[in-house]
Amino acid sequence: MNNNNDNIRNFCIIAHIDHGKSTLADRLLESTGTIASRDMKAQILDSLALERERGITIKLVPVRMNYKAQDGKEYILNLIDTPGHVDFAYEVSRSLAACEGALLVVDASQGVEAQTVANAYQAIEQGLEILPVINKIDLPSARPDNAKQEISDVVGLDASDAVLASAKTGLGVNEILEEIVKKIPAPKGDREKPLQALIFDSVYDNYRGVICYVRVVNGVIKAGQNIMFMSNGITYPVNEAGVFKPGFTPVRELGPGEVGYITASIKTLAEAQVGDTVTDAANPASEALPGYKKVKSVVFCGFYPVERDNYPQLRDALEKLCLNDSAVTYEPESSEALGFGFRCGFLGLLHMDVVRERLREEYNVELVATAPNVIYEVVKTSGEIIEAHRPGDFPDPSEIEEIREPYIKLSVFVPSEFTGRVMQLIQDRRGTYKSMDYITPERVRIIYEMPLSEFIVDFHDKLKSQTRGYASLDYELIGLKASELVRVDILVNGEAADAFSFVCHKDQAYNRGHATVTKLKELIPSQLFEIPIQASIGRRVIVRVNVKALRKDVLAKCYGGDITRKRKLLEKQKEGKKRMKQIGKVSIPQEAFLAFMQVDGSEN
Amino acid sequence: MAAKTSLYIHVPFCERKCFYCSFYSVSGREDYIDSWLEALELEAARYHCENKIPLKTLYVGGGTPSVLNISQWQKLINIITKNFNLDNLQEATTEANPNSLTPELVSFLESNFFTRLSLGVQSLNDSELKTLGRLHDSKLAIKAMELVRDSNLTLSCDLIFAIPGQTLRTWAASIKKVIESAEHVSTYQLTLEPETLLARDYDNQALNEAGYKFYRYAQYYLPRKNFIQYEISNFALEHKECLHNIAYWTHDEVIALGPSAVSYINHERIKNPSSLDEYIYLAKNNFPDELLTRERLTPHERAIELAILKLRTKWGIKRVDLLPEVEQVISRLPEDLFIFTPERVALSKRGMRLGNSIWSEIIDL
Repeated sequence: MNNNNDNIRNFCIIAHIDHGKSTLADRLLESTGTIASRDMKAQILDSLALERERGITIKLVPVRMNYKAQDGKEYILNLIDTPGHVDFAYEVSRSLAACEGALLVVDASQGVEAQTVANAYQAIEQGLEILPVINKIDLPSARPDNAKQEISDVVGLDASDAVLASAKTGLGVNEILEEIVKKIPAPKGDREKPLQALIFDSVYDNYRGVICYVRVVNGVIKAGQNIMFMSNGITYPVNEAGVFKPGFTPVRELGPGEVGYITASIKTLAEAQVGDTVTDAANPASEALPGYKKVKSVVFCGFYPVERDNYPQLRDALEKLCLNDSAVTYEPESSEALGFGFRCGFLGLLHMDVVRERLREEYNVELVATAPNVIYEVVKTSGEIIEAHRPGDFPDPSEIEEIREPYIKLSVFVPSEFTGRVMQLIQDRRGTYKSMDYITPERVRIIYEMPLSEFIVDFHDKLKSQTRGYASLDYELIGLKASELVRVDILVNGEAADAFSFVCHKDQAYNRGHATVTKLKELIPSQLFEIPIQASIGRRVIVRVNVKALRKDVLAKCYGGDITRKRKLLEKQKEGKKRMKQIGKVSIPQEAFLAFMQVDGSEN
Repeated sequence: MAAKTSLYIHVPFCERKCFYCSFYSVSGREDYIDSWLEALELEAARYHCENKIPLKTLYVGGGTPSVLNISQWQKLINIITKNFNLDNLQEATTEANPNSLTPELVSFLESNFFTRLSLGVQSLNDSELKTLGRLHDSKLAIKAMELVRDSNLTLSCDLIFAIPGQTLRTWAASIKKVIESAEHVSTYQLTLEPETLLARDYDNQALNEAGYKFYRYAQYYLPRKNFIQYEISNFALEHKECLHNIAYWTHDEVIALGPSAVSYINHERIKNPSSLDEYIYLAKNNFPDELLTRERLTPHERAIELAILKLRTKWGIKRVDLLPEVEQVISRLPEDLFIFTPERVALSKRGMRLGNSIWSEIIDL
C-alpha cells in the first residue's frame, strides 16, 4: 500500500446549535493564517446571507488549512463544517463520511444538549475519532467540570482531557490544532488503485454548472481526466480540480485522503448525485463506496405565488433553488383559494423556512405558504396501501382498515423544574412516554414518541416558551405507526367542502370540528337562505351550526338619476360575488379558505 | 294622442344642505334662482316643437322647490306651459320642506295644475330631526302636513329610518302620525353615500342590518292601514301611487331639466352636469353635447335593467316578458323571495327586503 497521506487530517465540528461551532471554525482559520483576521467577516463559513442572519449553518462548507505543527511538520487540515440544526442531521451524516475525526464542542455553561448526543453518536457510528472541546470557558457561568462530567455520563465518552477553549478569545485554539494532528488519524488510501471519490455535496453555479465536493479515497483526480459517475455510468472530462482555501482554488490533482472539488460542465444535480462515487472512466473501480440513503421529505406544505400571474416565476425559482438543494421536492397542485402553486416537501420545519426565505431573498418571489403537514399511509380493507397527503386523498371510512402516520422519537433536555410542564405539553400532543433520566440533579432527559404531525405544528416554539428557552430537543423519525385517525368532513349546506376537511385523532375530532364550523360561521356571509355547516365523520354528524339567512340588503331609493348608479353598484356587488367560490348554492369568500390554510404571508 | 312623456325639473337650491343627502343642491345662493330659471327656459325650449310634447306626469324635485317664492314659481309654470302640452297631464307633484311650505304656495299649486305634494317630513321625533340636521321640528311638520291635507293636493311624506338613536317605538309613532294626513308614504333608510359627511362616521353595512326592524315594521304596519307597498321604498292607498316614479321603473320617456337631471329619451340616458354654474354656462352656449353624459344601453342591457326595475314594484314582470336567463335565475333562488301568479312574477315582502341580492344575480346575465 502506497500511503503518503500522513500529513492530511480531515475533520468536522459537531455541536448543539449556539454552542459556538462557527466561531471556533473562524478561529481555526485565523490561527492557521488561512484567512487574515482583517478579512474576517463574522463567521466566514456561513456563506448564505440567511445563515449569517440567523446564526445557523445550513449548507456544508469545506475549507482547507495549512498548519505547521509543533513537531515541525506541515499538515493539511480539511474542516468540513456541518449544519447544526436537527433538520439537517442528514447533511451531518454526509460530512461525517468524509472525515476521520470530529471536534465535539460543548458549551461550558449549558452542558450536553439534545443534539450533542445525537451528533456524537452519529460520529461514533461512522468510526470517527472524537475530540471533546469545552467551549466558552471565559464566561462567568462556565462550569467546565460539569460539562466534562456530562459528556462522560450522557454521551459515554471520556472527556477528562478535553481541551478547554474559548473560541471568542482564542484560548485553547492552538491546543485544539495540536490535538487534531496528534489524535485524528491520517486518511488511508492508495494512489495506485483505481479512482474512488465520494461526492459528499454538490452545488450549482450559473457559470460552471454543478460543482461536486469530493473526498478522494483511492487514486487521484485531475483536470482533463475522464471521470464516470458509478450510479449512472455518465462520463465527463474534468474541467478543474481544486481545494477550498476557503475560496475555490485550482490544484494540479487531488490525491487519496484529500478533500476538494471538481467541475466538469455538468448540467444538472441529478447527474452528479450526492453519495455517488466518482471513478476513472478509463480505469474504473470495481465497486462504489458506500453512499448515502436518499433523504425523504417528511414535512410538506403548499407554496403559492401572492399574485396568481406569478406562477411561472415561482416555478423557475423552485427549479433553480433545487439545483442547490436536492432535499427539496415539489410538484404542482392547485387550491380553490390560492390558485396554482406547488406542494413542496422538506426535511423539517427549519428547512421549510429556509427555503421560503431563500426564494424570497435570492429569487425575489413573493409567496404564501400553507400550514405544514405530513403524509399518511392508509391501508384499505382491500389490502391496498395508499399514501394520503390531503384529507381528500382519504377513502371512505368504511374502506379503511388502518391509518398510519409518521412518528418521531423525541428527546428533550430540560432543567428538572420544567419536567411537569414539558411532559404535559408532549402528552397533549399524543406523545407516549418512553423514559426519563437525570443527567445531573438539575437536568433531565425526557424521551417520548409522538406523531410528527403534532410536532410540526409549532411544537418547538411552545416548548421554548414553556421552558423559558432552557429546553433543547432532538428527534429522529422512527417510522409509521397505526393511529386512531379520522377524517372530519365539513359540509356546507349539505355539500362536502374539501378545503375545510381535516385529519385528526378521533379524540380531537369534536373540538376541532367545533372550532372549524364556528370559524366558518364567522367567515361565511349571510345569504338568501339559512346555511347549515356541519362537521361529520363518515355519515355521522358531530357538530352543526347555522349561518342565519340574510334579512335585508336593500338600501337606496331608485329614481331617474339613481338608476345608472344603482346598476353600477349592483355590478360591483356581482364582481365581489364572482370572486367567491361556489360550493353548491353557497358563496364562500376567499378569506375563508385562507383562514383554514393558516397561510403565512411571506411579508412577515 | 295619448301622453307618454314625463317631465322632471330639478330645483338645485336648499336653505341648508343635509349631511346625508347626495342629491345635487347648493345653499346660500338663492340670488341665482333667476339665472337658473333663465337657463331652464333655454333648456325647455329645446324640446319645444309645433305640436308641443304632451306630458303624462310632471315632477318638480330638488333640492327644495319650496324655497322659490310665488313669482319664481309663476315663472317656472310659465316655462312649463309654454313648452309642453298639459292637456292630458295625469299627475303633477312638487317636493317641499315643512319649514318653507306656506299656505300661499299650497293654494298657488292647487290653483295651477298640481295634484300632489311630497313633503320632507323625515321623522316626527324632535331629537331624530336634530340628528338629521333638519330645519323643522315635529310641530312644524305636522302643521305643514295638515295644510296639505286640507287642500286638494295628495300628500306624500318621506320618512327616514335607521337614524342613530331611533327606536322601533319612535319609528312606529312617526308612521302612525304621518298617515293621519298622508295618502302616500316613502320610507328611506339613512344611507351614507361616500360623498356625504356622515359616511365617515357610520358604517353602511351595520346600518343596513340595523334597518331591518324598521323596514320590516313598515311592511307589517302600513298594509294594515291600506297602504300597499307598491315599490321597495313606497307605500300608497289605492290609486295614490306616484305615476311619475312608476315611469322610471317602466322605462317610459322622461325629459329632465336642470343641473344633475337625467333624461331618458329614445333609450338613451342623458345627464346634465351636477353644477349650477356649469348648467348656466351650458344653457348660454346652446348645450354643447360634449358637456353632457350620455349612456346608451344595448337592447339586452335594457331588458336586464328593465327586469330589475320592474322587480322593484308590486306588479313585477309579466312572465311572457321574462328573459329565459332571468327566469332561470329566479327558478334557482329560494321560492319565498317571490310571488308567482299565472301571468306575473313579483317580489314577496321578503324579496323586497333582499332585492340587492336578487338583482345582483340578474345584472350581468
